[in-house]
Amino acid sequence: MANRKINKRDIVKLLNQWGQEFAVFVPSRESGVATMARWEGKDTGFLDWYRNTIVPKANFLPAMEEMFHFQKNKEGYNIELPPDGGKQLIFGIRPCDARALTIIDANFKDLYKDPYYLNKRSSAVLIGLGCTNPGESCFCTSLGISPAESKDVDLMLTDIGNEFLVEPISATGKELIAKTSGLKEATKNDEARAKEGKKTAYDKVTRKIDTDGIGDRLLTCFDDQDFWEKVAAKCVSCGICTLLCPTCYCFDINDELIRQQGTRFRSLDSCAFPAYTKMPMENPRAEKWKRVRQKVCHKYGFFPMNLNAIACTGCGRCIRLCPVNWDITQVLNSVPAKVKGV
Amino acid sequence: MEQKLRNEARALLEQGKVDWFIGFEAGSLKFTTTPLITKDKNDTNRLVINPFIVNNLANFLTEIKGRVGIVAKGCESRSIVSLIQDNKVVRENMVILGIPCPGVIDLSKVERLADKDRDELDDIVREKDRVTIKVKGKTKGFPATEVLFDHCLACELPTPQEYDILLGEPSSPIASPVAQEGIKKLKQMTPEQRWGFWEKELSRCIRCYACRNVCPACFCQRCFVEETEPQWVLPAPRWQDNLLFQITRNIHVAGRCTDCGECERACPVNIPLRSLTREMYDIVGELFQFKAGMDKDALPLMTHYEEKEAEDLFR
Repeated sequence: MANRKINKRDIVKLLNQWGQEFAVFVPSRESGVATMARWEGKDTGFLDWYRNTIVPKANFLPAMEEMFHFQKNKEGYNIELPPDGGKQLIFGIRPCDARALTIIDANFKDLYKDPYYLNKRSSAVLIGLGCTNPGESCFCTSLGISPAESKDVDLMLTDIGNEFLVEPISATGKELIAKTSGLKEATKNDEARAKEGKKTAYDKVTRKIDTDGIGDRLLTCFDDQDFWEKVAAKCVSCGICTLLCPTCYCFDINDELIRQQGTRFRSLDSCAFPAYTKMPMENPRAEKWKRVRQKVCHKYGFFPMNLNAIACTGCGRCIRLCPVNWDITQVLNSVPAKVKGV
Repeated sequence: MEQKLRNEARALLEQGKVDWFIGFEAGSLKFTTTPLITKDKNDTNRLVINPFIVNNLANFLTEIKGRVGIVAKGCESRSIVSLIQDNKVVRENMVILGIPCPGVIDLSKVERLADKDRDELDDIVREKDRVTIKVKGKTKGFPATEVLFDHCLACELPTPQEYDILLGEPSSPIASPVAQEGIKKLKQMTPEQRWGFWEKELSRCIRCYACRNVCPACFCQRCFVEETEPQWVLPAPRWQDNLLFQITRNIHVAGRCTDCGECERACPVNIPLRSLTREMYDIVGELFQFKAGMDKDALPLMTHYEEKEAEDLFR
């Protein structure tokens, strides 16, 4: 299928059209923080932005969600499931955040089936929007991601001036294009401009890490307490870098019980918190350096070992949003090649 | 001043007067600094003082064992004094290098004024009362009061009171009314409007606890939010529970909060937390004529009792 294009002025019409079938989400600052929010039919100012603070994973794995409501009756418990949210269309997802969903899929879809995640994820359509101006904290290119290209979306949009080039990526994307009106055939000139734009964006990512053998290098220095203590010294053990990470998926489950009925919630949890590993008798990660080590090693060591992908997309949120400028790229670049005394 | 700081810090470590030194070094992004916590005298060459030294370094004192040399702006010195009052740190174990602070630049304010993301700015230069922003060859100047943090505009002690060595000339409070505008607006609202305001703001909270973890006054070994028996608040970010968390935290730090503004600065979802903490700070001042972190010999406000201040019930 040939690529299409759409004038930026027609994005409103396009989104309204898709709104007939899907619950459309677009980047929005309306709530006071940049996040994916329901399309309200007007403001396309988000097209000029960089990226959301709140990761689009929240559309599939929300910070908090109701699992079920329960009520005691004579026989036992009556269980009530929350209503289905319907088909989501996420417009404007960045390649890094889209890749993150593919990474989470490896756990929630392939390794085991998480019904709450899959229910939302399997019916969703992702419309990617390439970055034209990657940020200073971005390092996606070190993780095999191009800021303006993606295979993890259904349709990919590339800025070519007054228009977007629209590329179908998946079968779902092709189907969507076929039933969408208002798209024009892209010319060779459009294609050339898109290609150039992608390259320019790629070259703008200057922050780099060396991922070559990173898992092995991390395991080699796993017991180097001095190294990890130094790395962890300024960390304040807040949950920003994990809760706002596009690939972190750890969660906690809590019941709220009021008399004979209640609700079971699940909410994101963070390995940065001491309580994350707290058990009745002991806490294997009571010390800060062990928690910081876990975070780095899980993303770059254990996850790749188990699921064949680094659990990081270089989106840079953890660097930019960190209250003490703890920078994972500096940490990874300082991992010693060999542990002392070995 | 920077060179003098580096020399002093190096000497402290070299002469074994301290085991650790805590200061600021250049951050990994433009217009940032990052805490430098080190035992190595050679690291002291990296110490900086600039308009972006945002953190309250006193926060690290309670987790470090041994004698510590520390860089202290006015806000840090107040937090240190407050920690001394609470017996969390020992004055004799610290060497405080005081930095008179003319205020720290709030990048969010710069972004709003320049209508650009911080990544797109080429330079931000502070000269006395002016701040100049450079974007793509163009420069734009602003009064410093337009780009400093609200808590800096309201700062009562820019020059530390408690120090061993003072680096540089004392600076005086800016005392700009801009700092209280947010709180003023909230006070003009009806209770219903205010409730609606906090519902919207606190609905964004993700319970990362950055506000608590960057706060030198939040030094509890075990925070009430992590209690499970009883579970005071749901450990999930429902807005009512977020509100309960913030209100309780605020009451817990009453008489300890020095209005350093770190909670609001650290918040990744832009919740105006200082509207709560500063209001509490003012209420404490009004009810008890007490300002946290001003006098290390004063007894901590909430853990001692004076007959004259008690209600009849306790007399």
